[in-house]
Amino acid sequence: MENQESNVNQTPEDSAAPGQPSPQTGAQARKDSSAGRELYQNVRVLVTMMALFVLLFTFVARVIVVSGPSMQNTLFGGDLVLVWSLGYTPKQGDVVVLTQESYQEDSIVKRVIATEGQQVDIDYDTNTVYVDGEAIAEDYIKERMRLPGWGEGVNHVVVPEDCIFVMGDNRNNSADSRLPQIGIVDNRCVIGRGVMVIFPFPHWRGL
Amino acid sequence: MNKSVSGRVPWLLSAAAAALAAAALRRWQLSSAFEPSGLAAPGAQASVILVCVLFMTSAWFILLAMYQPLTKRPMTLGQAHRWDLVFLDAGDPVYPALAVLAAFLALTAVPVLLPVGLAQWQHYRELLAALKQGLDVQLPSNNGMLTIATGVGALLSALGLLQMGRDGLRPGKRGRGGFSAALPGVAGCVWLMESFRAHAANPVRWDYAPQLLAIVCGMMFYMDFAGMSAGAARPRRLLWLAGMTAVLSALSMVTAASELSALSAAGLSVRSTQLGDLLLLLSQTLAAAGVLWRLPPNLENPPKPPNTSGPHPDRI
Repeated sequence: MENQESNVNQTPEDSAAPGQPSPQTGAQARKDSSAGRELYQNVRVLVTMMALFVLLFTFVARVIVVSGPSMQNTLFGGDLVLVWSLGYTPKQGDVVVLTQESYQEDSIVKRVIATEGQQVDIDYDTNTVYVDGEAIAEDYIKERMRLPGWGEGVNHVVVPEDCIFVMGDNRNNSADSRLPQIGIVDNRCVIGRGVMVIFPFPHWRGL
Repeated sequence: MNKSVSGRVPWLLSAAAAALAAAALRRWQLSSAFEPSGLAAPGAQASVILVCVLFMTSAWFILLAMYQPLTKRPMTLGQAHRWDLVFLDAGDPVYPALAVLAAFLALTAVPVLLPVGLAQWQHYRELLAALKQGLDVQLPSNNGMLTIATGVGALLSALGLLQMGRDGLRPGKRGRGGFSAALPGVAGCVWLMESFRAHAANPVRWDYAPQLLAIVCGMMFYMDFAGMSAGAARPRRLLWLAGMTAVLSALSMVTAASELSALSAAGLSVRSTQLGDLLLLLSQTLAAAGVLWRLPPNLENPPKPPNTSGPHPDRI
C-alpha cells in the first residue's frame, strides 16, 4: 500500500522516461517543495504528536497533579506524578490513582494497604495496621495515627475479590478506605500506579 | 452506472453498514455490559463483539484501500493539481451539500459550547475570588478555557468546511481543500484535549476512548485531505481514515446521545459539552461521507479541469 502510495507523490522528473524531456516545468515541480507544503508538513507533525500524546495518556500512562495533603510526606500538593495504566494490577504497598465516584468525581491518590482476600485491622491505640494478623512496617506515614473525626469507620474488614483497601500516608488528614463513602475500592476504579514524581525537580524520585 | 462511479459503492456501503453495526452494538453494550455503579462488566459479550467488529472493519477498509484503483498524477494540467481535482464536483451536488451540512453542524456547536465554557470560567473565577478571601472552597480542575477554545475551534471548522464545499463548485483553481481542510484538523486538537480533560478521572475507558479515537481519526482524515493539495497526497490512507472516522463517530454519537438523555431525565439542561460533542461528531461523519462519495470515482477517473488542454492521466 505504501509503495503504491509513494508513486502518487513522486516528482514528475522521477516518472519521466529516460531520454524524454520532463512533462512538467521546473516551476511546477518546485511547487511541491514550496513553503505551503513545508507548513503543511509541520502542522501535520504537530497534529500527529498531539494525537499520539492523548492516546498515550489514555491507554498507557498519564501525568496527574497531586492536590491536597493526604499523601504527605510521600507526595505534596502540586507534585506532578507519572502514572502507569497499561496492564496494571494493584499490589500491596503501591501508590495508586483511583476514582471513587461515591466520594468525588476527581481522582484521588492513596497507598494500597491490602488486596483481595486479605484481612485489615487498624489499632489506633498502638498506631498499628495489621494485614492478615501481621503488623505492617509503615515508615512512610507522616505521624502517629489518631482516631478519625468520623469515628472507627471501616477498621476491621476482609477485602473482597478484585478489590483493594487504601489509605493515605498522612493518616490524620486523609479520606480513604476507612471513610464509609469511599470504603473498599474496586480494582476497576484504579486508573494506574504512581511510578515517579517528575516535578518539581527537588521532589524528583521513584515511588 | 459506469465503472468509475461504482468505485464509491463498496466504500459507502461498508462505512454505512459498519457505522450502523457499531452504533447498534454500542446501544447493546450500554444496556448490558455495565454494572449499576457504571463500571464495565469484565468480558461482557457486547464489548467483545464490538471490539471484534471494529478490528474487522479496520481490516476491511485496509483491503478496500489497497485495491482502490488510482491514476498516476497528471503531468500537465495547467494551474491545477490532480490531487486537488479529485474534489471537483463536475455537476455533482452531493459532495458540496454534505460539506455545507457538516459546516452548519459545526457552526451549531458554537452557541452550545461557548456559553457552557463561559459559565465554567465564571464559576471558576468566583471560586478563585472566594479562595483569595480565605473561604474554605475547592477549585474545580476545569476552568472552562478548553471548552471555550473548542467552541472557537468549531467556528474555524465550520469556515473550513464551508470553503471545502465552495471549492468543489469553483473549478480551475489551485490549492483546493488545502488550507480549508487543515482548519478542522487543527481545531480537532483542542477538541481532543477538551474531551480527554473531561474524562481524565474516569476509570471506565469505554465511556470516552471511542470518542477520543473518533476525534483522532477525524483530525488525521482532515490533515490527509489537506495534504492532497499540499503535494503530500496519501489517497488510500485518506479513504481508510474517512471510513474509520464515520464508524467511530457513529459509535461515539450513541454515547453522547445516551449522556444527553441522562441529563434530560435528571432535569438538567441539554445545552452541554455532550451536545457540542454530538454535533461535532455528526459534522465530521458527514465530511467523511462526502470524501467517501467524491474520492473513489475521481481517483480512478479524475475530472479534467476546465480551460486546460492537458492529456488525460493514465491509469496505473
